[in-house]
Amino acid sequence: MSFKLEIISPQDKVFDDEVDLCIMPGVEGDFGVLKNHMPFLTTLRLGIAYIYKEKKLIEKFLVNGGVVEISKKQCTLLTEDIVRSKDFEIVNNNDLIEISKKKLVDNPYYS
Amino acid sequence: MPSLKDLRNRISSVKSTKKITSAMKMVAAAKLKRAQDNAEKTRPYAEKMMEVVSSLTNKGNQTSFKFAKQKDVSKKTTLLLVCSADRGLCGGFNGSIIKFTKKLVDQLKTNGVNTKFIFVGKKAYQALKRLYSDTTIDNISDFANPSIKFEIASSVRDKVLDLYEKNEISECYLIYTKFKSAISQNVEALKLLPVEVEDKNVDSDSGTQQNSISYDYEPSEEFLLEEIIPRNIAVQIHSGLLENLASEQGSRMTAMDNATRNANDMIDNLTLFYNRSRQALITKELIEIISGAEAV
Repeated sequence: MSFKLEIISPQDKVFDDEVDLCIMPGVEGDFGVLKNHMPFLTTLRLGIAYIYKEKKLIEKFLVNGGVVEISKKQCTLLTEDIVRSKDFEIVNNNDLIEISKKKLVDNPYYS
Repeated sequence: MPSLKDLRNRISSVKSTKKITSAMKMVAAAKLKRAQDNAEKTRPYAEKMMEVVSSLTNKGNQTSFKFAKQKDVSKKTTLLLVCSADRGLCGGFNGSIIKFTKKLVDQLKTNGVNTKFIFVGKKAYQALKRLYSDTTIDNISDFANPSIKFEIASSVRDKVLDLYEKNEISECYLIYTKFKSAISQNVEALKLLPVEVEDKNVDSDSGTQQNSISYDYEPSEEFLLEEIIPRNIAVQIHSGLLENLASEQGSRMTAMDNATRNANDMIDNLTLFYNRSRQALITKELIEIISGAEAV
């Protein structure tokens, strides 16, 4: 039971594949998307998007805001600020926000 | 008549100019390829964003949200975001942007609309700063160095929205060059603000709307519009800048190609003239020798 998930940023198509489940940080709370989700449109807050395939967590993304559109066929995430969690690095050691982001990435809530 | 040495000098100077123009053409062609790729990469994002926005605005009764409001008509001010290149030597590229802007400003003036400017790119700013110095709000240059970042678009967007919310502007247009192909580009003005809510579409689409999916909005349509429209504006500015860069490189490539061809023509003509003069000189010397010998 898989559906198509696309993650698009202005620079690139970050992710485009069939997945089983994805969990996203919506403005009003985290939500999971499975196949045949109802048509849905919302925005995201800062958080992690988890992507599962064949009952395994295959990818994590750190997203900072964005728009999610779920239609009958597929799920699309539009965002300007997205990093694959394994690519995330602390640039500025004194930046508390960056450090907390790193902590968030290292200890996923859902796994 | 110029001496042979003068001719030789001219030929060699034209040749070195040709070298420069053909090198510039090659560089522009390589950059054009990259700029085109970048412009194409943003396209899916921009298209999807447009879809989302139009699906939201076509729902009707959205005239209440803050970016659709037509502001006080008595003192209309239009903000023009003029995108041009940072460098010259690209044919009529900057010239046509400047001409287009001037025409638009005159048109707006006759309708009693004031104009304000934000320039992105050095060339249009240099050409128009004397005319519109008192209404220029900002000028951003060196933006394409080394490549266009999304942050530029979002910082411009922030400025525009700030002015809009302070009621200093009532409209905003983006002036940029749309890239069609390496030889044809069009200067266009794109309306960014206020967001048009087409009532007509609601009526004509209402039949199809029922068939299309009705979305569940979270938290509310107004909230989503207020979140999404600033994003959409940034995306439009960003893709406008990318199109502009691709057009600039395309137009530079064509201009330099023409220049190289002209240089070739000139070298041919000069070489012909040079050879003719050389032969004439030899003939003259021969006549002098022969007639001298005959006299003896």
